[in-house]
Amino acid sequence: MSTLVAPQFETAERSEIVLEFPSPRRRRLRLWAWLLGTWILSGIYIVSPEQQAVVTMFGAVTAPRVLPGIHYALPWPIDSVYKLKVHQLRRVAIGGDVADSVLGRLQPMSSEFLSGDQNLLDIRVVAQYSVSEPRDFLFQPENVDRVVSAVVGVELSRRIAHTTVDDILTTEKIAIQNDVLQAAQKAIESYRVGATISNISIESVTPPPEAADAFRSVASAKADAIRIVNQAEGYANDLLPRARGEGVQLIEQAQAYKEGKVNRAAGDAARFGEVVLEYAKAPKVTSTRAYLEALEQILPKLKKLIIDSNGNVDLTVIRRDDNSGPNQTGATRK
Amino acid sequence: MTTHNKYIAAAVAALFLLIYLSLYSVRETEFALVTQFGRPVRTVADAGLHVKLPFQSILWFDKRLRIYNPRPSEFLTRDKKNLVIENYVAWRIEDPDRFVQSVGDTSAAEMRLHDIIWSGLSAALGTENLDSLVSASADKVRATSMLDLLTASADRAALSQYGIRVADVRIKRLNLPEQNKQSVFARMRAERERIAMQYRAEGEEQALTIRANADREKEEILSAAYKEAEKTRGQGDAEATRIYGQAYSKNPQFYKLLRTLESYKKVLDDKTTIILNSDSELLKVLTQGEAGAK
Repeated sequence: MSTLVAPQFETAERSEIVLEFPSPRRRRLRLWAWLLGTWILSGIYIVSPEQQAVVTMFGAVTAPRVLPGIHYALPWPIDSVYKLKVHQLRRVAIGGDVADSVLGRLQPMSSEFLSGDQNLLDIRVVAQYSVSEPRDFLFQPENVDRVVSAVVGVELSRRIAHTTVDDILTTEKIAIQNDVLQAAQKAIESYRVGATISNISIESVTPPPEAADAFRSVASAKADAIRIVNQAEGYANDLLPRARGEGVQLIEQAQAYKEGKVNRAAGDAARFGEVVLEYAKAPKVTSTRAYLEALEQILPKLKKLIIDSNGNVDLTVIRRDDNSGPNQTGATRK
Repeated sequence: MTTHNKYIAAAVAALFLLIYLSLYSVRETEFALVTQFGRPVRTVADAGLHVKLPFQSILWFDKRLRIYNPRPSEFLTRDKKNLVIENYVAWRIEDPDRFVQSVGDTSAAEMRLHDIIWSGLSAALGTENLDSLVSASADKVRATSMLDLLTASADRAALSQYGIRVADVRIKRLNLPEQNKQSVFARMRAERERIAMQYRAEGEEQALTIRANADREKEEILSAAYKEAEKTRGQGDAEATRIYGQAYSKNPQFYKLLRTLESYKKVLDDKTTIILNSDSELLKVLTQGEAGAK
């Protein structure tokens, strides 16, 4: 350590320092000690919170999982420390590359897969994985991305190959993601890659452009069918309440008719009952009075021809200034 | 002293050189093949520090799992369907001695693997129908067992010939050859059109059913109401008839008189011309005076 502060004394006490060094041999020893100390201290390393580390001694793993903190390993060339960001999610795209603005690839690619009912679909899937076993991750596979991509591709292709195109495009999407995730994870474990797939997401699944319009027309047909059914339901919803109202109206009218009819009959009966009592007291006079009163009401409105009981009448007189029908003439004659 | 020191220094240096030449480390990712004048002596697979004779030299081989993706190639199934298959091979060097003698490097190894797997795959696919690879029903798909067999046989062949372990052969992607695609697209379009028509027709069917049901229900409601209404009216008529009958039967003759006069009021109006005989009951008084009133 003393050599580190030595420059401070340089100007003022140079001669003394030179005198203090007893011999070049000791100076060399100090240099060696300093080098040795530095070498030993170079083994200190820090693992930051998002990392884990693997330590090897002459290539063989001695500490498969070193947790975050400050640690010591034997210096080069004995020990080597490999640090890994274990929690970082790594992305790999299957069936096309991830969109990359740096390379000017704005539109991600996708590849054709064959579905169970022999339709072609353009599919692109992104898998996310993280490190589960740093030792395996570092030393088992040559390239983890390639393994994950290959394994997910296989499971995806197999799952697609026994699913119909309609299911893939609609209901089965989530199930496919889950199945592929599980199967791929199992395969990854059998390869001892030291990775855990955390997520498989189908980024895009589209019919090939050559048949896209036909798929769109199916969607619009579906919408049309729904519209037609809704219209019919609207019709029914409009019709039935009206019909129920009309029905109630009919019944109420009939009820009104019945009440009216019965009440009128009762009224007429009561009236007649009263009159008939009086009639019984003086039948002749009452009937004459009733007759004459009625004629008084009837006759003023009528056209009247009074003829001699013996004479004949020329009926054309009636027709000349009056066009009343033969029926009424007949009726009056009676 | 100085010459003595020099001898010591030389001895130490020689010792270090000897140690340096006799020690070697093997990493987790490698095999070390110890050769003596070019002749392989032994293979070291354990990682760590090892000792060799100073004049022996070392060849290192990567023992990590590798993924080899051959170019997609076309295969013919038993039912004469063409398929473009993209597969991958997971492999690693297992026997460096054999590997260095027969293959040498990884790209040469991949070429050999390609040959083994291509012929194995084309033979295996030649015995399978298309629907054992691609089928809407999962139980028909037998690709996995076929590939397991292929992996096992490829592994045997590659290990004995090239010192390569084939861990897995899997199909990554199934596709159709370019020349077949147009007809597949045409079929897909036709299928979609059929489905679209089906949707429309089913919608129509449902709509018609709904409308017909509504119409029927309306008719039911109205006819039931009519039935009820007419019954009510009938009851009213019957009640009225009964009341009239009861009342008028007290004096039918007087009723007839009153009712007839009542109907005259309605029947006779200002369009009626009445011809009255001067002998009539009403006018007798007019023509005959008091005699007429008898």
